[in-house]
Amino acid sequence: MQWWCAARGSAWTWSWQAYPGVWLLVLAIALAYWRFFGFGRRLPARHADTNADGAAGSRGVPPRGWPGWFVTGLLCLWIALDWPVGALGAGYLASVHMLQFVLIALVAPPLILLGVPAGRPALRAGPWNLLELATHPLIALVLFNLVIIFTHLPSVVDSLMASQLGSFLIDMVWLAGGVVFWWPIILDRPARPGFGFPMKIGYLILATIVNTGTFLYLTFSELPVYSTYELAPPVYGISARDDQTLAGLLMKVGTAAVLWTAIGVLFYLWYREESDEPSSTSHA
Amino acid sequence: MIGAVRAIARSLSMATATLVTLVACDAGSEAARATEGDIPPSSTDAAAGYRGVVLEPGPRPDFTLSDVDGKAFGFRAETESQLALLFFGYTNCPDICPVHMAGIASVLRDLPWEVRDRIRVVFVSTDPGRDTPERMREWLSGFDPRFIGLRGDMEAVNRIQAKLALPPAIRGAVPPDGEDGGSYEVGHAAQVLVFGAGDLRLAYPFGTRQADWKHDLPLLVSEFQASYAPSDTASASNARSGLD
Repeated sequence: MQWWCAARGSAWTWSWQAYPGVWLLVLAIALAYWRFFGFGRRLPARHADTNADGAAGSRGVPPRGWPGWFVTGLLCLWIALDWPVGALGAGYLASVHMLQFVLIALVAPPLILLGVPAGRPALRAGPWNLLELATHPLIALVLFNLVIIFTHLPSVVDSLMASQLGSFLIDMVWLAGGVVFWWPIILDRPARPGFGFPMKIGYLILATIVNTGTFLYLTFSELPVYSTYELAPPVYGISARDDQTLAGLLMKVGTAAVLWTAIGVLFYLWYREESDEPSSTSHA
Repeated sequence: MIGAVRAIARSLSMATATLVTLVACDAGSEAARATEGDIPPSSTDAAAGYRGVVLEPGPRPDFTLSDVDGKAFGFRAETESQLALLFFGYTNCPDICPVHMAGIASVLRDLPWEVRDRIRVVFVSTDPGRDTPERMREWLSGFDPRFIGLRGDMEAVNRIQAKLALPPAIRGAVPPDGEDGGSYEVGHAAQVLVFGAGDLRLAYPFGTRQADWKHDLPLLVSEFQASYAPSDTASASNARSGLD
């Protein structure tokens, strides 16, 4: 039995496989959330006027800190890591590997962070300082794009995906990179008064541009770049080149879909804030 | 920068591919293991500039089997004017055979027609029980309709492989819940043999990448064209007289 999805080399089968490492990780994240924030907070009947921080929520949008956000994010993470998506992405199809990237680095982290109540975590001296530094918008943007580039290098993918530890490492780097990237957009600790809606929108627009190099490299390469997927037992006769092209497109389209959705939400919240300003001063 | 990355990737990926093959073999049944055979590489390998393994020189094998139309196909005579790629496998193969065939077909599509036209790919079935002519035609056409499928009884196919220093194909056990002719695997040699100019022979093991084929095939065709002369009737007549 494998504890984490990795390239196996054997023909793909739809027979279910257990990956206990994935279950332990999901359980550990859920327990950590329960320990620090609890699952007791209920979604108010009317979300309006209950959202003190104003970062998300009000008028039909569940507020920040709602456990439903966290559960949805954790579910996305679980789907991306466990069988069959995790197994297909680890050793058979580059396109599914890219779907995993989108789910682990771009979809799950913001949802998980939205589940963190406003004003949390309370940053103190110690390890939080490093987190404070890493989540500085400029550093977070650079780190995230380094993660994208590094974890999509053929030499890195081909050498790491063959082992469970290597595959685990890539998944965790994606998750950590995603958390760091989304942190300054969603969490209000540490407070960054200068990083308002216009800056956040600019930050996300920049992020949509930077991954273009990786997208072009994958989509328009004449030959398969990853031996892991080129030499993998074929799945439903999908050729290695078609799979790679699909992976490149998925990276661009998937990333763009998530980021532009977030940009749209930020525009809306910015508009709401501007509209509310004359009548309300309670929103920071 | 990308070139350097690709170079690193290539070397690492070959190692990875070897590992993947070992894992694949380990996962399969004993009899279904893909075996590489003991073909000795030539000492001139390093200087040759090929990515395939240059083998001890030797003539093209001379054998005749039936093609998917039921006609006799004499390998040496039919391929003498072309670069010949020879592979022993089976259409129900879950990994090595489709990866090899798909890789070669994909690269052939990219080559100029004058190069492509000088290459012949011959697939010999190691599973004649299930590889009917129709099944082989359909399977090979999925990669490239020009690929040639040959069949014969297992003894004949294994004799050919023995002459090429390849291990014999071994049929794996049928799973207890299966029936004869069902989901068994066949252990077979995993390399593609290439017969080029003169007595040049190369082997391309599993793990050969499309980039390797794209590098070697035009080079091999070019050398073949430079050395091959249609007036070389002596070798041609020898080839014909050697048919079964």
